[in-house]
Amino acid sequence: MKGILCELRLILRSRLSVASLLLLFMLAALAVLSGLREVASQHETLARVAPLNKQDLASVETRYPQDANGGYPAYYSFHNTWDPPSNAAFLALGMRDVAPYMLRIRALGLQAQLYEGETFNAELALPGRFDFAFVLIYLAPLFVIALLHDLVSGERQSGRLRLLLAMSDGKRLWRRRVALRYGLLLICLGLPALVGALIAGMAAGALAMTLAVIASSLAFWFGLSLLVTARGWRSSATATVLMSAWVVLTLVVPTLANVMLNRSIPVHQGVDLMLAQRQAVHGAWEIPRQETMQRFYANHPQWQDSAALPPTFHWKWYFAFHQVGDESVADQVRAYRAGLLQRQVWSDRLGWALPGVGAQAILHRLADTDLQAQLAYQDRIGVFHQQLRDFYYPYLFNEQPFGRQDYASQPQFTPREPSAYAFQPSAWGGLALAWLLFMLGGWQLAQLRPNQQ
Amino acid sequence: MQSSPNTSAATTVLDARDVEAGYAGKTILRGLNLHVRRGEIYALLGANGAGKTTTLSLFLGFLKPSAGTVLVNGVDPFGAPADARRQLAYIPENVALYEHLSARENLAYLLDLARQHADSRSIDGALSAAGLQPEAFDRRLAGFSKGMRQKVAIALALARQVPVLLLDEPTSGLDPQATAEFNRLLNLLREQGVAILMVTHDLLSAADVADRIGFLNAGQLVEEVAASGDDRFDVRTLHRRYTELGA
Amino acid sequence: MSVITRIAREEWRALFRDRVAVVGLALLTLLMLVAALNAWEHQRNANAERARYQAQANHEFEMQPDRHPHRVAHYGHFLFRPLNPLAAFDPGIDPYTGNTLFIEAHRQNSANFGDVRQSSLLLRFGQLSPAFVLQVLAPLLLIFVGHAALARERESGTLRILLAQGITGRQLVLGKLLALSGFALLMLLPALLMLAGLVASGQAAWQPSLLLAAGYVLWLLLWSLMVVLLSGLLARSRDALLALLAVWTIGVILLPRLVPDMVSSALPLPSRFENAIHVQREYLALGNAHDPNDPTFAAFRESILKEYGVTRIEDLPVNFKGLVGFEGERLSTELFERYATATFERQAEQNRLVDHSAWLSPTLAIRRLSMTAVGTDLTSFRHFLEQGETYRYELVQRLNRLQSEKLRYADDSNPNRENRISHEHWQTFPRFDYQPQPLADTYRQTAPASLVLLVWAGLLMALTSLMGARLGTTRQ
Repeated sequence: MKGILCELRLILRSRLSVASLLLLFMLAALAVLSGLREVASQHETLARVAPLNKQDLASVETRYPQDANGGYPAYYSFHNTWDPPSNAAFLALGMRDVAPYMLRIRALGLQAQLYEGETFNAELALPGRFDFAFVLIYLAPLFVIALLHDLVSGERQSGRLRLLLAMSDGKRLWRRRVALRYGLLLICLGLPALVGALIAGMAAGALAMTLAVIASSLAFWFGLSLLVTARGWRSSATATVLMSAWVVLTLVVPTLANVMLNRSIPVHQGVDLMLAQRQAVHGAWEIPRQETMQRFYANHPQWQDSAALPPTFHWKWYFAFHQVGDESVADQVRAYRAGLLQRQVWSDRLGWALPGVGAQAILHRLADTDLQAQLAYQDRIGVFHQQLRDFYYPYLFNEQPFGRQDYASQPQFTPREPSAYAFQPSAWGGLALAWLLFMLGGWQLAQLRPNQQ
Repeated sequence: MQSSPNTSAATTVLDARDVEAGYAGKTILRGLNLHVRRGEIYALLGANGAGKTTTLSLFLGFLKPSAGTVLVNGVDPFGAPADARRQLAYIPENVALYEHLSARENLAYLLDLARQHADSRSIDGALSAAGLQPEAFDRRLAGFSKGMRQKVAIALALARQVPVLLLDEPTSGLDPQATAEFNRLLNLLREQGVAILMVTHDLLSAADVADRIGFLNAGQLVEEVAASGDDRFDVRTLHRRYTELGA
Repeated sequence: MSVITRIAREEWRALFRDRVAVVGLALLTLLMLVAALNAWEHQRNANAERARYQAQANHEFEMQPDRHPHRVAHYGHFLFRPLNPLAAFDPGIDPYTGNTLFIEAHRQNSANFGDVRQSSLLLRFGQLSPAFVLQVLAPLLLIFVGHAALARERESGTLRILLAQGITGRQLVLGKLLALSGFALLMLLPALLMLAGLVASGQAAWQPSLLLAAGYVLWLLLWSLMVVLLSGLLARSRDALLALLAVWTIGVILLPRLVPDMVSSALPLPSRFENAIHVQREYLALGNAHDPNDPTFAAFRESILKEYGVTRIEDLPVNFKGLVGFEGERLSTELFERYATATFERQAEQNRLVDHSAWLSPTLAIRRLSMTAVGTDLTSFRHFLEQGETYRYELVQRLNRLQSEKLRYADDSNPNRENRISHEHWQTFPRFDYQPQPLADTYRQTAPASLVLLVWAGLLMALTSLMGARLGTTRQ
């Protein structure tokens, strides 16, 4: 115990180490704080917007208190859908800045509504968010390097290495020093995350996994640093090699991989989808309306006994061709989504080789702010859209009058439950390898002899 | 006292027999034979590159001999470094300790590293025995002179209470008064039965304290002289020979 | 001068004996080539794709059958933004904004399908482009190879020997600076060749290319100065390395992320959702353009009747419904413009705040200069959206005019009658022809960033010179 206290004193009396530790702690705390603030502001926005939309729906009711077949209410009612941030979202804000987390949906063609973007300043989004994931993946390794690059060379360059190694077999010395530095960095990162998790009310399981990710990412960088440090090079050479490794692993390879991924899995822009859907929807005006109805009834046989279309405009035809438009691009929608998921799968696989990518994948999955979350929200909207149509169709197709009590019984959106955590084998596998690397690094260090003078 | 020439092998603490060793394909020691006994101060002299520090590295277990055997109190230092190092204390050239720690803290820390339990009384005792003024015990080493640092290092060796002491150029950079004080300490240790091996350039200082002096040249012990008995050495003759070897 | 070049030559030789420098330079060059090739091909494909889509959209628009003009106004049009060939150098916000705009009557849509929503989170690690290599990686390599330039001489004691030869501190510093900037120029070479190639083949204009080149030369000079300065100020090369790495981490990695994040929480943007509701409310308050009997449009009807000197709208020589549509579009466009401008202005305000922070981190300045020079910044994107909006307004009003001139009111208000006009009309519509921003605007927008870079370089030069003078006098 005394020895550990002595080691601690040694670290605390080195200005570089103290400054590094404090800075990392502050950055992690700042990231957690700004994540919590962002999540709170998203909740606020959702709370602000809900009554606004309610008023909007109420105004539709005042304008069309009685409608012959629900056509006007269905056309003019925009329904509020939203995707509240999860309890862990503060850790990794993910795509929530560029993809909308609330959308107004009506019973018209879904495909023309689903890809609406959010208003965001692309120049601000470009460098990425400053959140806990950023601190862990980009910044923490630099602090590991700062604390470990002169672990051996510092002792050698100040002439103590021979004396120290002559005192014991070295294992004890390095084990202690490494464990202490590891513990301190773990506290600097883990404590803010822990406090944030308590404030945000994160589930214990998710918190445990978050801490495991933090511990494993650190383990990777410790392992790598120890391997390099144990080579016994000079401090600046060690720092150079480690920094280069950091650049390659967190800046170069992921960007290269992104390029390769986008090339090998081309996702043909959703533009095709929109163009096709528009052709299908507007084409309806050119073909005999009965033909559209037949196509609609083919997939919705329960309405085929509805009265024939009058010679003038009828809403049921309007809603039918929107639905037919959606159905005509269903295959393309599936292909589009499959492509996106395929990209996700491959980028997850990179977790085997790049622990930063693995940690990012796990944190964003836990936070439920990744591509899957975005798609799950779209699915939830799809379900709701179906509910809306199921609600309006009886009025439209049975000529049922739509009155005030019908407004009250319109379907209400219920947000999705955060998707259950699905095990990501490659990301966790990569992180498990990190511990192996850590052990290897420790072993190498224990073999160190102060030979070259 | 016990430095009679025909001491039995049992009292030999540092033992190197027919040792060959070197770094990265470069052989430095070629058939070294060296024995240091309990309560003996052995000074190893030699020019730069003769293999002095390599010899120390062998006893410290930092280096594996390519031939021959090395033993510290009967233990192979390369095979069982922890066991061997428990038997010895080492003071490197240019004593470097932790500048940010006080004398007491340095000792406490390093003794702990050597897995040796030391209370504050025994630490203070060692520091006093090494000749450090008590008011300096709690000052950080950053403000110490070279002589004072040397005393802390000796105190460390004293506190270790080990049978072997290895010294690398212990008196280089010390003024004559500090050197005399240092030699007094070595004598103290010798009386306690410690085997001391010092490698040095400084013939005068070595002649002052050493029981035996060995000359190392090109990786071999070329001559060994004793301070007492028939082959008692004469400093002037030695100096001449030493400079010839070094040339 | 010869002393300085002699020192520079010696340092240059030392650099090329250093494995880190040689391997680093080779890797950086390789990466730059990969980045350039990839970006260039991506950009060429994207442009080809956009051209194809634009042709398809034009074709579909022109091949519409006989239709009621208002039907055509809702059928709408797709506009695609062509990219400046220089965008291969710095894709900027291109992957975030998308370049597709769907336009229709009484609606202002957003551009959709930015790559960012279609990619995995990998994109958030950054995009591989020559700009990324030069902005982020090149300074790091300069730090690795240059941090010891002066500290090494000091540590090994050769500094005293050099000064004893009668060399002044300034000469020594200048020599080292010369060597390091020469190395920096070598790193920049592939990028410069790429720009020269683009200009020579006539794909890019020379003015923005020159601006870009000058910006990056200044940027790397700034880093060379920073490296030499800290190498001279700090006693040990390891301290110099750590200090420079800290400066790099804070200036290149941390601040460019932290500042935008703080700005976006200090100046939040209204969500599209809220804007949509507000716009819709005001839009409803304008009256219903589809309903000629709407009370809001009654005054308009009176004024039209007066203008033509008739008492009934049926007696007008033109189709009143078309006129109402025209007026309605005018009013709603004004409304949309107001909201769109407010959002644009808010974004511009955010960006200005970020630009001011460039005084803290010149990385923000080079980023601004680079994106603006190649036209992948937000201002240039806004330029596209505004041109798209103008095109939309003219398209819709042209259709409203057709409705008022080619259809009779009596027919148009008869629900039992199909009212269509000939498809030939669509074929005479002008196509969307995007005009990039005038160069003068580019210069104006990059001026503050250039100033930041110049002032930083000037400041560092002054400090370095001061350091050089001190180097010769203080005891080492």
